[in-house]
Amino acid sequence: MSDAAVAISAAPDERTIRIPVTGMTCAACQARVQRTLQKQPGVADAGVNLMMQNATVRYAPSAITPEQLVQAIRDTGYGAEFAPEEQSAFDEQEARDRAQTEEYLELKRKAIASGVAGALAMFAPMLLMGIVSPRVTDVALLALTAVVMSWAGRHFYTRAWAAFRHHSADMNTLIAIGTGSAFIYSLIATLAPSFFARGGVAPDVYYEAVIVIIALILTGNAFEARAKRATSAALRALAGLQPATARLVRRGATGDEEVDVPIGDVRRDDVIVVRPGERLPTDGEVLSGESAVDEAMLTGESAPVAKRSGDRVIGGTINRTGALRYRATTLGADSVLAQIVRLMRDAQGSRAPIQNLADRISAVFVPVVVSIAVATFVVWFVGGDLFDVPAPMTRAFAAAVSVLIIACPCAMGLAVPTAVMVATGRGAEAGVLIKGGEALQRAGAVDTVVLDKTGTVTEGRPTVTDVVTSGAERSEDELLALVAGLESMSEHPLADAILRHARSRGLTLATPERFQSFTGRGAAARVSAHDVVVGNEALMRDRGIDVAPLLGDAERMAGDAKTPVYVAVDGTLAGLLAVADPIKPTSREAIASLRARGIEVVMLTGDTQRTADAVARAAGIDRVVAGVLPEGKVEEIRRLQQRGRVVAMVGDGVNDSAAIAQSDVGIAIGTGTDIAAEAADIVLMRGDLRSVVHAIALSRRTMRTMKQNLFWAFIYNVVGIPIAAGALYPAFGLAMNPVLASAAMAFSSVSVVGNSLRLRAARLA
Amino acid sequence: MSALDWIVIAAGIAAIGWVNWYFFVAPRRVAPARKEKP
Repeated sequence: MSDAAVAISAAPDERTIRIPVTGMTCAACQARVQRTLQKQPGVADAGVNLMMQNATVRYAPSAITPEQLVQAIRDTGYGAEFAPEEQSAFDEQEARDRAQTEEYLELKRKAIASGVAGALAMFAPMLLMGIVSPRVTDVALLALTAVVMSWAGRHFYTRAWAAFRHHSADMNTLIAIGTGSAFIYSLIATLAPSFFARGGVAPDVYYEAVIVIIALILTGNAFEARAKRATSAALRALAGLQPATARLVRRGATGDEEVDVPIGDVRRDDVIVVRPGERLPTDGEVLSGESAVDEAMLTGESAPVAKRSGDRVIGGTINRTGALRYRATTLGADSVLAQIVRLMRDAQGSRAPIQNLADRISAVFVPVVVSIAVATFVVWFVGGDLFDVPAPMTRAFAAAVSVLIIACPCAMGLAVPTAVMVATGRGAEAGVLIKGGEALQRAGAVDTVVLDKTGTVTEGRPTVTDVVTSGAERSEDELLALVAGLESMSEHPLADAILRHARSRGLTLATPERFQSFTGRGAAARVSAHDVVVGNEALMRDRGIDVAPLLGDAERMAGDAKTPVYVAVDGTLAGLLAVADPIKPTSREAIASLRARGIEVVMLTGDTQRTADAVARAAGIDRVVAGVLPEGKVEEIRRLQQRGRVVAMVGDGVNDSAAIAQSDVGIAIGTGTDIAAEAADIVLMRGDLRSVVHAIALSRRTMRTMKQNLFWAFIYNVVGIPIAAGALYPAFGLAMNPVLASAAMAFSSVSVVGNSLRLRAARLA
Repeated sequence: MSALDWIVIAAGIAAIGWVNWYFFVAPRRVAPARKEKP
């Protein structure tokens, strides 16, 4: 089955599928489809996303089949079918893009045409007054209105009818009843004016109102379609990073040849060549060449990253300075880019719990509004008669139509999903992959951040931090060259740090002779005609070497969570190296920023209290829990949660997966290549703690936007409907015109989408 | 109040009742999706 419609996750007796749904226009449609799916036997959970136009259903395959789920959706009056078999995340995004663009262009065309017709309907009768009889004008307007309704507004009526047949009502129902009743009223007034005249009512017509209402609603819909397209701009940009071809190195008769092949023909272990300025077609491992690669579009890291032989590269990034040859590793759906696009697509289609309130209201909204419109008509009709209001029938009718037209369930339906879409896109641009609306909402409420030490606060890789020489006999580089020469035979983790440090300083290493290793203490060898001993204090003492001159330095280093390594050359103490897992340069700033936002920061580590304290001091962390095993980390998080804290756990996603799963918001700090991190709610593409600040800042900002959107959508209806019904008439003599109501309605959903789009420019630091 | 007013009130109440019945009560009687034939 296709990527789009297949099991996303699978508990033993449960599957989750995503089914594309067509024809949904507002929150009421979405609520209707969702309710129907939730009622099906064997369905554990169903969520419908109006923005992504799909339904995600968790169901028991033993109780119901995907085909029955599709049929259940169709029975509600909406379209549903599985996506084509071989559709990838990229194809799916492209298809959605195309559909969105077509929808926008069609709405725009219809809005312009009906706008012109509306202007004609409003001004022509005035211009033709005295030249053409009013009856002829009315008949001409009747024909024009019928054309506009049956062409530009056709979908309002067909969709309203489809919903009605299934006991459902949505935005189209309100527009169809509103404009349909105005049209029928005007039709009777045109063809049988005596019918009204007999009741003492002037045979007024509302043709121009019908056309202008349709034009304004279409204009609003066109703006909305364009804005909705903009909300998925980040996902579109990501999908667009995938190059169409790759340049492979193939062995030919005359040696290696470079050939361009479609990306689909690249196989694992193929050798790919990229020149400066070109985009890397697949993930891989560099075989030769050196270059700086711009990974900003995937990791948010603005500075290009140096790549050389052995380094991993990501497909979709841009090769900047030199040519690279690399071996393709992960391809197609397994590639980092495809994983990000899939993760983003799932996230953008997910629901935030805050939406439940909007759903509950939307489900009853339209029938309640229709009831209010009927009541409005009755009150105006009877009240107008009793209080001698002029033309009560006309006013009753206009007020009822205004109520139908001004009510807007679409703004409520768009309030939350548009914010989720824009926020997840904005996050991805900054290298923060948020896995869905729920994660976004929870991250906004985080008040405690628990950090793992190794690889999260620190680099996670021992590095030489200090080189101290004893006396002026040797320079730091000379000392380091001797030590590195010796360590080139060692397999100790500290040896690796020393070798890397020596190479980074461009030192030439001599081959050691007579190498001896002393487990847990150090090593000795003859290097460049010198007897070199490298190790701890105990080894030096055994060899009769006095460490007193550097003992103070060694103790200071140990206090700073560094491991001191003494060096003796030819039986005399020659220097001291310190190896430590250094704190990332951005950790301190990030932690300060979290604390400035009122968030408590706790560090958990399996290390000793002394090392943990030193790191915490340097990073600016107050609370440290040291010496904890992975189970201990879970326990500590549970303890914080029992105290009522909302906890985010930040770790590497592998060793900390249990703690990440226990936390309210699990944040996996990635390396840019591993984004699978199943247990995590948020994946950071960069190993930079500032991304945690960005994630929380973005979530808080998004929650604010969602609340604003919901507030305005509710308030709009709560205030707009009574005004349209004529609540201001008794006190101020103000009554709303149906045309004004349609303008207000169009404005409300556009304003909600516009407010969500502001998240695109949100500052996250 | 005239007879027409009373008619409009009665029709309004009936319309509201029908709308609420049609959209809230009647859907509950709609059977869930048909089981596929084996």
